[in-house]
This record gives sequence, C-alpha cells and structure tokens, in this order.
Amino acid sequence: MIREAAWVLLAVAAAARAEPVFYRIDPAATHVHFEVQHFGTSTSRGRFDTIDGSITLDRAAHGGEVSIEVDTASVSTGLAPFDGVLRRADMLDVQAHPKAYFVARRFGFDGERLASVSGEFTLRGTSRPLTLRALAFGCRPHPTLQRELCGGDFEAELRRSDFGMNFGLPFAADRVRLIIQVEAVRD
Amino acid sequence: MKKSLLATALLAAAGFTQANTYSVDPTHTFVTFEASHFGTSTLRGRFDRKEGSVTFDRAGKTGKAEITIDLASVSTGVAPLDAQLKGRDFFNAAETPTARFVADRFAFSGDKVSEVAGSLTLLGKTLPVTLKATRFDCYANPLFRREVCGGDFETTITRSQWGMAYGLGFGLPDSIRLLVQVEAVKQQAPGR
Repeated sequence: MIREAAWVLLAVAAAARAEPVFYRIDPAATHVHFEVQHFGTSTSRGRFDTIDGSITLDRAAHGGEVSIEVDTASVSTGLAPFDGVLRRADMLDVQAHPKAYFVARRFGFDGERLASVSGEFTLRGTSRPLTLRALAFGCRPHPTLQRELCGGDFEAELRRSDFGMNFGLPFAADRVRLIIQVEAVRD
Repeated sequence: MKKSLLATALLAAAGFTQANTYSVDPTHTFVTFEASHFGTSTLRGRFDRKEGSVTFDRAGKTGKAEITIDLASVSTGVAPLDAQLKGRDFFNAAETPTARFVADRFAFSGDKVSEVAGSLTLLGKTLPVTLKATRFDCYANPLFRREVCGGDFETTITRSQWGMAYGLGFGLPDSIRLLVQVEAVKQQAPGR
C-alpha cells in the first residue's frame, strides 16, 4: 500500500519535472512524400507507404529524439513500371538497402513553437545531415484513444545525387523536396 | 512588352497560330488532394487512373481541356482509408465512377497559361472550378520527339458543395486543396 503510494508520488513528481515522453508513430497518419521537377515543367510526386518509428519529446527541456525507418520498397508513385525503376540498384537499391533512416536529436524552437528537427538521413547506405522544417506541429487528445497525440507537417530538401541516385538527370531534377506527414500517439 | 510581342511574332511565324491538340500523358498527370487531419497534420491522396486531352492555341490565347478521373483509383497508401473513400461516405465510386473536369476558359500571362476555368462534375453535380497555374511551360521531349506542354495547377474546393459532407460534424475538413500535375503531348508527327 505504502509502496503503491510512493509509486504514484514518483509518477506525479516525474510528470511535474516534464521528463521525456515516448510517442509511437501512427503509420496510418505518417507518410513521406517526395516531389521532383520533371523537365522544369511539372512536379512529379511519390510517397513511401511503410514507415515505423518513435518520437521522444521533452517539451520543458526543448529536446528529444526522433527515430524513423522507411521501407524503401514501399515506394509508390501510382505508376507500377516507374516504381520498379525506383527500386533498382541504381536508384533506391531496395535489395541491398531495404530501409532508409532518419535519426535526429536537435530540436529548434521559435519561442514555444517547434521550428525544426535536425539529424542524419541514411539512404542507400549513405548518411548525410538533414534538417526538417516544421510547417505545423501540435499535440491534442486522440479522438478515440484516451491518449495524447502529437503530429504535424514537415519539409526538407536534398540532392539525390548526394546519395548516388543519378538516373534521369537532368530531365528529372536533382533536387528532391520531402514532405513529411507525421502523427504519433503517447505510449 | 516588346519582347513578348517579338515572341508572339516568332511563335506565329513558327506555325503556333493554330490550335493544337495535346493528349494527356498519364505518367505525368496526377490529381493529388490534401486534407487537414483533425487540424494536426495533412493527409495526401491521389488518383492513379485518368485520361484527357487539351487543345490550345498559344498565340490566340485560347484553349479547351477535359480530364476524367477514375474515382476507384484513389490511393492514400492506407488500404482501409482507400476503401472508405471509394464508398458511399465519400466518392461513391460504385454509382458515380468518374469525376470530370471540363474547361474552356484559359487565361494567359505572356505565352504561358496562368488559369484554366471550367466545371467539375463529382457525385453527379457540376459546379465551377478554376485551376491556377503555379508553373507552366512547353518543351521538346526527347523520348516522344514531340512538343510537351504542362505544368502545376492548384485550387481549393469545398467538398460539401458537391454533397460530400461525411465527417463535417466531427472535425473532418470541408476545404480540400487539389494539386494538379499535367503534361500533354502534341498530337502531330514530329516535323520540326
């Protein structure tokens, strides 16, 4: 009895100190989309459908950690033959590199607003620094689960040639815009 | 001003005064929609099957476009959500399998299309919609060996106007942003 009460007190104290809180990615509301200019004329889009990961947030300390795994073979453009090209060894090389990773520990804040998340992006076995800019971010009660939900929209840019993906250059641009929708539920 | 007059004269000289027909390239033509997910993040989806054609006259600054979208080809990457979107709550693809955009009012900025105004038929209802170009150009495609014209367009529609009102009472958005990628290939033997 006394031990239980002590646990409750500890839990309350921990909450008051705003210790890191663990959130698990909701794969139904988390997607990585990409946009590439085609002949400088129109924007071709695609996405990755299978994503897993977690987010640890310490809002009082303005810190945390993001860890996201993207299943590279889940690339989807709406064009099956083109998805096949993207999976090839000279592009995503999904056989040798079935996962892409984003691991980040630097959170930028603008006042209380989360402005950016900086870390390292690993694609085709090549790791490079990458900063995601937050377009929107917020937390609210989950509509059906009795838990907190945090999420938002982020964007980033990379050059695919930095990761050795040169197919179609320069007709399909080197610059790739990433648009990341993320929602994560408190564990 | 002088430059654009010169460009118009050159285009006219090059035979661009006639309306040309372009066939929509389905590999570079997509309609993507964006919807706010309970105000937290943005859900994106697209339609994978579509067809259409564009007729336009760059010098005469007129055009016509029509595109038909197969609503059952909706794709969000989340299978249960796709099933719900195809169903009666949203697109009702069993009863109204296609959406159709028909436009005959092209606005130009210089020799580039800046706006395409027409009407969108969805769920059996036809209402005016104007697509604004965020980018437009024509280029010689080395693969097709033909001229390709295209660009990026966008608009925001209010889905309840077409009678699609599911979820408005519990926080799903009425306002839907449409991002349209279009490329269309000139239907004429390569001569130039």
